[in-house]
Formats: sequence, structure tokens, C-alpha cells
Amino acid sequence: MPAPSPSSIPSSPPIASAPRRHGAWRLFYWGLALVAIIGVAIATVLDPLDYYEILLDHWLDPARGEPDGFTAMLRHTLWLLVWLGVVAIAALLWSWLLRRQVALRTRQLLRELNERQQVETALRESEARFRDVTEAASDWIWEMNEHLRFTYLSERFYALTGIAPDHVLGRARWEIGVADSASDLERWRQHRKLLEQQLPFRDFVYRTQLSNNQNTGRYLKVSGKPIYDVQGRFLGYRGTGTDITEQIRAETALQESELRLRRIIDLVPHMIFAKDRHGRFLLANRATANAFGMTVDDLIQHSHPFVHSVAEETERMLGDDREVIDSGTPKFIAEETFTDHAGQARTLQTIKIPFIEPGLNETAVLGVAIDITEQKRAKEEVARMRLYLKNIIDSMPSVLIGVDPWGYITVLNQPAEQTSGMSWEAAQGRFFGDVFPQLDGQFEQVRQAIRLGRPIKTPRMTLDIQGELHYADVMVYPLMADSASGAVIRMDDVTARVRIESMMVQTEKMLSVGGLAAGMAHEINNPLGAILQGSQNILRRVAPDMPQNRAVADAIGIDLDQVHRYLEQRQIPRFLEGIREAGARAAKIVADMLSFSRHSEPHFAMVNLEEMLETVLRLAASDYDLKKKYDFKRIAIERDYDPALRFVSCDKTEIEQVILNLLKNAAQAMAEESTPTPVITLRTRREAEHALVEVVDNGPGMDEKTLKRIFEPFFTTKEVGAGTGLGLSVSYFIITEQHNGRLSVMSKPGQGARFSIRLPLPGREALP
Amino acid sequence: MTEWVLIVDDEAMIRENLKAYLEDEGWRVAAFESVAPALNWLRNGDPCRVCIMDMRLPDIDGNTAIRALHQTHPDLEFLIHTGSSSYSLPEDLRAMGLDDSRIYHKPLADMAPLAAAARRLAARGDWP
Repeated sequence: MPAPSPSSIPSSPPIASAPRRHGAWRLFYWGLALVAIIGVAIATVLDPLDYYEILLDHWLDPARGEPDGFTAMLRHTLWLLVWLGVVAIAALLWSWLLRRQVALRTRQLLRELNERQQVETALRESEARFRDVTEAASDWIWEMNEHLRFTYLSERFYALTGIAPDHVLGRARWEIGVADSASDLERWRQHRKLLEQQLPFRDFVYRTQLSNNQNTGRYLKVSGKPIYDVQGRFLGYRGTGTDITEQIRAETALQESELRLRRIIDLVPHMIFAKDRHGRFLLANRATANAFGMTVDDLIQHSHPFVHSVAEETERMLGDDREVIDSGTPKFIAEETFTDHAGQARTLQTIKIPFIEPGLNETAVLGVAIDITEQKRAKEEVARMRLYLKNIIDSMPSVLIGVDPWGYITVLNQPAEQTSGMSWEAAQGRFFGDVFPQLDGQFEQVRQAIRLGRPIKTPRMTLDIQGELHYADVMVYPLMADSASGAVIRMDDVTARVRIESMMVQTEKMLSVGGLAAGMAHEINNPLGAILQGSQNILRRVAPDMPQNRAVADAIGIDLDQVHRYLEQRQIPRFLEGIREAGARAAKIVADMLSFSRHSEPHFAMVNLEEMLETVLRLAASDYDLKKKYDFKRIAIERDYDPALRFVSCDKTEIEQVILNLLKNAAQAMAEESTPTPVITLRTRREAEHALVEVVDNGPGMDEKTLKRIFEPFFTTKEVGAGTGLGLSVSYFIITEQHNGRLSVMSKPGQGARFSIRLPLPGREALP
Repeated sequence: MTEWVLIVDDEAMIRENLKAYLEDEGWRVAAFESVAPALNWLRNGDPCRVCIMDMRLPDIDGNTAIRALHQTHPDLEFLIHTGSSSYSLPEDLRAMGLDDSRIYHKPLADMAPLAAAARRLAARGDWP
């Protein structure tokens, strides 16, 4: 009979003792069976057939005789042994069967045991895993009984929340939770209903009134499902929970921060926006939304081309966006136009910066646009005003120089630029004395004006401009506006005025001479008449050829011829002639003086200038005067007539007199100094408002002292008796007073003289 | 025949010189220092055709004198001999036939033109 294979039996200790027990019994049975077999064999050998017959007979017919005793006994014993053997074999058989059953069963049990062990191990492992998970998990495990009261909380609960489990166990969830608002209350109601209905739930978030000792209230998130026993009886809930306080706080903080950010960007009056490559708005503040006439939320859902009606602007702005996105570098747009939803054109100053929107892979553009419309308008207004003010100061004929308290130039007007030959920009920041050397000495006045807070005037400053004497009035005004931050130097070239003033002084002088002359003319003319007429009569009455003289001489008996010879020898006629000439000269002086008075109305007419000059030249040529030692015919005359100037309006006689006087003076001056090749140039020019007639000689010229006084009455350089000293002053009077013109002279010693007559051109007088 | 010429001038030497010159020229000369005696002389004396009149006179001014003399002696022609440079003929005197050529300003360096003018005026009076 096959023994169970040891390999099939796990060698676990409790199972190992079983075969040894079975082995002892088997030996016993084997022994018993062996005895029976041996007995049967002996019996058979002794009486193999008889015995059985007897035995059978005995059994079947016990009454049939009794064998002898021993044999009978042996027989009985043999039979007993046979039976015993049979029994033993049967027992062995039974035992074998039984053992076989036992082995099967054992194997089964072993298998079962093994399986159970495995399950137990798995269970233990599972438990361990569960425990590990429970302990290692971020969440905790909770359990509730059927009354929905907490019965269990894993250790993590305390670790995570800091709340002692004692405060929680035995209480329902709603006893430890708080509702902050009506919506919270409603949530609680639903949660409780859910629990009471024994339904699973997930992610119920609530705030506990319990707290760790640091913070009040913890936010817990719990999920759970009902548990039932084998019979399906509700045992309560089991689930997990986690503390999301930090998360909630972080979320709240994030929300708050976002809200704050949103509020901030909404408060900013500038347009803040973010757009993707396609112009879709990712972010926009209220200013941006307002510009498009939308709400922020509406705008976010749209793209730029959809909300912006001016295609041209959209094109440009999107182009800029793309440029920033593609280049990855910010772009500053100093000025761009933008038409808002109301159709109002605005000027924006925009900066666009590339940025990566979180959760978006591609680069977007973040823009900040500042509305500079008003600024620009103000700037333009300032610029316009500045230009206007500049125009004003530029229109001033005065030289205006703005300087700071240290004399450095801040402003120049146009006349100042012209005078210095330097532009405002170039002169700015330079010391005014360097730019205007003629004003170098004015720094003291600048300082004084600022210190005293009142203007300082320097009248009639003499300047040498390219060798010409100029006069300037210089005023230094302190700038009063903000605590005397400088001064303005005003310089007026008053040369013309000074000349006019001196001209007027001259004229006044002449007029007073004229008035004086008019008053005394009558008184002087009568005695002069007596002198002159007397001389004439004397000369006539001593003349021998006059019949009356001869008649008187005859009557008194003297020889007239002798008388005449006597007179001749004694030079009487010569003296008389001298008396007559002196009288005539005195009469001429009085007549000249009288011409200074304003009595006579000049007889103006249009005069051909060239013809008049030629007439004067003829007159001058015939004015050969031995006594005055000049011969006009020796002088070369050059004519330089302007063909554009033909007629002038003047009193012909008077102008002729003036020019003749100038020609005579020139001839006389050249004759006195014996100029080797005397030349007089007669020049006419048409100027803007004047007809210019110049008489230029190459004679000895004049020094400055002479020039200053040349038009004064009775001033003469000629030797006594050669001139009255009134010729030029009369000329001056005729030109300036009667013709409203100008008579000027330019000369330097040794360089000749140039007399310029300027007569107003007709038609110009009508101007104010 | 010798013509009379009347001279009215308050300056004695002027008067005398003119008288001398014109007498030398063949005139008969009546010279007075003022208008009144001149008028008297005219009223009583010989016919006179030419008068040389000064303007500033002691009794009445020359213009008025000319008007007065013209009134009484319409044939009398006038030459004006004045020391004033600003003298101009009044309109009514011009209406009498006087013009600027009759005006002679003192001092006269040469009396010949005056004498010639007087002679022309006297001759004109003869013809009509």
C-alpha cells in the first residue's frame, strides 16, 4: 500500500507527528496478520483437509463426535488462528482503507491549513499595508457608528489638524462644524440628509469650530461611505479626511491677491491688457474695457479686431503685438493714435512686453497704454504758446538777451541772433559777454538789477560796429517772476534816433538863427542899403564921363580929370569897391540866414534828376572864381546815374542850390589841397524809399571833429572871407526841413568825402 | 522933359542915395520920410507918374499908403523897395496891377535896375 508522499505533505511541525503514530499501529497489525498466516499454514500442513472438514463439521454438526482432546484443541486453536488471521487481514485491510482516508483528509486539511495561512499572511500584510497607509497617508481615517457619531480617528488626524481626538470622538460631524453663511447651512443640511440616508459622499468641505491652539477653525475635507455587516446591517460610516486649511487659506490668499491685483489694475487709469498672437484678450483692466465700451468680462472673450472698429489702427496694433511676440523684446511706442468706441481719437503712449501666460505655451504680449491725449494737447498748447511768445520777442526790434544771475545766456531773440551772428541754441549757456563783446561791461548792471529789483539803464552807449560809430540804449531788467532768477538785457540801436535828434538840434539851431535873422534883417538891410547905394553914388559921381559931374566941375572951376586921376592914385575907387563888396557880403549873409526861416513855401514839382544834375554841372563850370582859386574845368566829372531813377519830387531851385554848393565845396577843398587828379563822382541810386544823390570827391577828406560840426551854421574850414559858413547848413536845412529828406556825409582824412542826399520818393509819403 | 518920381522912405540915407542916383539919371525927385507929406506934395505939386515906396514907415505902412495914393492918383505906378525879406504882395495890390517884379529888396547893391524899372513905368504912362 502506497504511503503518502512526503513531498506532498508540507513539513510543518504539527503535521509531522502523525505518520509515527500510524507506523506503530501498522507494525502491530502487520504482526497480527503474520501470526494468523503462519498458524493457518501450520494447520494446513498438519491436517490440511481434515481439519477443515472437522472444523466445518463441528461447526455444522457439533453433535458428530468429538475428536480427541489435543487434536481438537489444536484444531480449535488453528481455527481460532485462522479467524484471527482473517480478522487481522480484515483489520489490516480496514486499517489500510482508513489510513488512506486519513491521508486524503490530512492532505486536504493541510491544503486548507496552508490556504488559511496564506490568507492570514495576506490579511496580515494587508493589515500592515493598511496600517502603513493609514499612518503614512496625508489623510486620516475616520469611522462613525450607526448613530453617526465618531468612533475612530486615525493618528493622522491629530497630526494634521492639531485637534485632540477626544474633542471629536462621540460627537456628530455637525456638532464640530460651523456654518459661516446661509449657503453653508444649506450644505450642512444636505450633508446630514445624505448621511441619514446612508449614502456615500465625497469631498465634503467644512470648517470646524475646534482648533489647535494656534489658529481658529480648521478646514476639513472628508469623504466617506456607509459600512454594513454581513447581514447588511448599517454599522455606520467609514472614510477619510484631510485638512485643507492651508490649501483653503492659500486659495483664499490667492483669490484675495488676485482680487487685489484686479482691483489695482482696475484702479489704474491706464490701459493694461494682455493679448495672444491672434489678438485675443487674455487680460484687460477696466480702463481697457471702457475704451472699447465693454465690460472686462466681455472684452476677455473677444479678440482685438472684433472690438476695435478702426481697421487701420487695429492692423498697426496687432502688428506691434506680433513684433513683440516674435522678437521677444519689449517695444516702446512713444505715440500712437487710438479711436475709442465713442469715436474719440486719443493719443496713447504704449509699452508692449512679451510674456508667457501661465497655462499657455505660446508667448503673449502684455501692454500698458497711457492716454497722453491731454498731455499732448497741453504740450502742444505749451509749444504753441512758446512759439507765440518767441514770435513776440522775435518781433521786437530790440536785442533781447535773457541771462541767469551768473550772466549765462538763457534766451536770445531774433535781433539778438542777428546781432551776435549766433543762434539761440548755440549761444545758450555761454556768458553773454563772450557772445556780445560790446555788452561785456554790463555784467555789473545785471547783478545790480537783480539785487535792487529794478531796471538799470545805460543810455547812449557807444559801439564800434565794423568801424562805424553806433549808439545803443541798454536796459537791464531783472526777471521778477520767480525770485529774480536772472535778467533780460535789452539793447536798442538808437544810432538813427541819435542822428535824428542831433539833426533836430541842428534844425532848431538853424530855425533860431532864421528867426533871429528875420527879426534883424530889416534893421540891417537899411544900413546896408545906405552903404551900398552910397558907394555906388560916390563911384558914379567921381566918374569923369558923367555929364552931370562935368557940369558941376565946370561950374565950380575944377578939372574933373585931375580929380579923377587924384582919386585913382589914392585908390579911392578901390576902397569904395571894398566897401561895396563888404556890404554885398553882409547882405548875402543876412539873406542866407533868412532862408532858415520857414516862411517860404517850397515849390515842389517832378524834376528830371539827370537834367537837373547836368544843369548844375554847367552852372558850376561857369563859376570860375579867380579869387577862390579853383577852376572847375580842371576837375574830372564821373557820372554814375541809376537808370531806374528818373524823376524826383522837389523844389528844383533849392536842390540845384544844394548840389551846386556841394560841387563848389568839393572843388574848393580839392583846389586848396592841390589834389593831383581831382575827380567828382555824381551818383544816383533808387533806394526802397528814397532817391539817393551822392556827390563824391577824392579830395583831402575831413576828420571826425569837422564831420560832427559840418552842418552847423557859421562853421567853416575855409579861410576867413572864403565862405559865409552857411552853405552846408542851408543845404542841410533845405534837404531835411523843406524836403523831409536826409543829408549825410562820410569822410575820413585823406580819403575824400561823400555827401549823400536822400529825397523821399513820391508815393512813399502817404505811408504813416 | 523931366519926369517926377516920388520916393517915400524913412531911412534918410536910402532916400538921399536914391534921390542922387535918379537925379543923375535925369529925374526930378521928390523924397519924403512919410506918407502924409508925400500926399500933400502930390495934391499941390506937379504931376508924378512913379512912386518908390518903402514898406515900414513911421505913420502908416506901405501897403495902406499905396492903396490911399492909388485912390487919389489912379495913374501913379508903384515900385516897392523894402528891407523886409518876408514881404509879399497883398491880393488887392496885385489886383491893381502890381506884381513881384515891382519888389526890390534892400540892400540894393546896384540901383540901375530900379531906375530902369521906373523909366519903363513912366514911359508906359505916356502912351494911352
